[in-house]
Amino acid sequence: MSEPFEPKITAFVCTYCTYAGADLAGTSRLKYAPNVRIIRLPCTGRISPMFILKALQKGADGILISGCHPGDCHFTHGNYHARRRWMVFRALLAFTGIPEERIKYSWISAAEGLKFADLINSITEDIRKLGPFDQYHKLIEETQAPASL
Amino acid sequence: MSIEQLYRTRAKELLSSGEVKMVIGYGAGSNKERRRPLFITSAEECDKLVLDSACISNLSGYLLTEGLLSDEKRVAVFLRPEGVRALNVLAAEAQLDTAQIVIIGFDSPKGELKALEGSSVEEFTALITALKEITPETAGEEQLAKIEKMSPEERFLFWQEEFSKCIKCYACRQACPMCYCRRCIVDSNQPQWVNTSSHTLGNFEWNIVRAFHLSGRCVECGNCDRACPVNIPLRLINRKMAEEVLNSFNHFAGTSKTQEPVLASFKKDDSETFIL
Ligand code: SF4
Ligand code: SF4
Repeated sequence: MSEPFEPKITAFVCTYCTYAGADLAGTSRLKYAPNVRIIRLPCTGRISPMFILKALQKGADGILISGCHPGDCHFTHGNYHARRRWMVFRALLAFTGIPEERIKYSWISAAEGLKFADLINSITEDIRKLGPFDQYHKLIEETQAPASL
Repeated sequence: MSIEQLYRTRAKELLSSGEVKMVIGYGAGSNKERRRPLFITSAEECDKLVLDSACISNLSGYLLTEGLLSDEKRVAVFLRPEGVRALNVLAAEAQLDTAQIVIIGFDSPKGELKALEGSSVEEFTALITALKEITPETAGEEQLAKIEKMSPEERFLFWQEEFSKCIKCYACRQACPMCYCRRCIVDSNQPQWVNTSSHTLGNFEWNIVRAFHLSGRCVECGNCDRACPVNIPLRLINRKMAEEVLNSFNHFAGTSKTQEPVLASFKKDDSETFIL
């Protein structure tokens, strides 16, 4: 029997809000799905769309991008800049056929440990239902095959 | 007098009076249908200038040739409305000073050549603002609607098929007036964001990155689309992204030389329906 599918989820989070929120979830002993790999960045403004592509390139099935609520950014407006970029990038990905359901965005503050745990659980379940991102994984496999001459 | 004649005379006057040091226009190409860019520095050469509806490429990119504008002398350039928009974008991004550019404007709606009044970008503002209201016909609206109706899987397959043809020649980048970065993200390898091989994955990434970097900046001149040797319908992505920034942020690239770049600015009440 093949092993059940465990989705790989990459989360890009800002250190001041969502990472602190994740930390709170941990110190509060909240249990959440172990499928997420968290990458901490100084600000949502630092989360380049390239990161999303890189995560997909490395085989992620789902991606979460999260930062401070509007108005709460440590650098005052990094998250406003990020929001515009996501808006545009999201439309572009959708247009090229990368399903919107695989890439989620959220605002999670340092006080929202529970929201973080719940979100990770629900995203993991959603991606589990969607299954592995086969279409993209096939492209990755193709890059590893020896070149046909 | 034909518009071609009129503009040849104009170019001669500009050069012989010393008002400009160079005229960038079109000359005869390798066959009847093709025109190639012509860089003229003396009045005698002006008779080589060709102007007709086959002059389609956007010449504004040549203005960024290294050192061309650094002596603060002026340069005249043949431009269609998209070209003037491109000038505005370049000026808004501090790549050139529009005071150094003399526009020789023309257009050919439905194949009929016409001259456009004005020689500075400001004189084209009304024309460009009017363009904002109409969707260009050339962009393949039908095909776009078809793609939008597809399921994500079908869309992925469609683009997979298109992008698998890409040979990573970067002609699209070289032809684009907005792709002026000294160091393109695909040339950087610390870190290597985009796979350099032209396998489908690398091509997918490259085309997505380019489209993203052109979002809100692309003026839909079609240079990239025509340059692509394997005919990837880049115009469809450009159109889609132009629509997106127009609908989401009411942004039409190149309306003025002081326009804020759409992805380097924000409004506190930008839409965020998708954020959990
Ligand atoms: S992306 Fe293509 S259509 Fe848009 S400005 Fe550049 S060359 Fe012109
Ligand atoms: S011009 Fe076409 S083939 Fe060349 S890099 Fe651009 S998309 Fe690929």
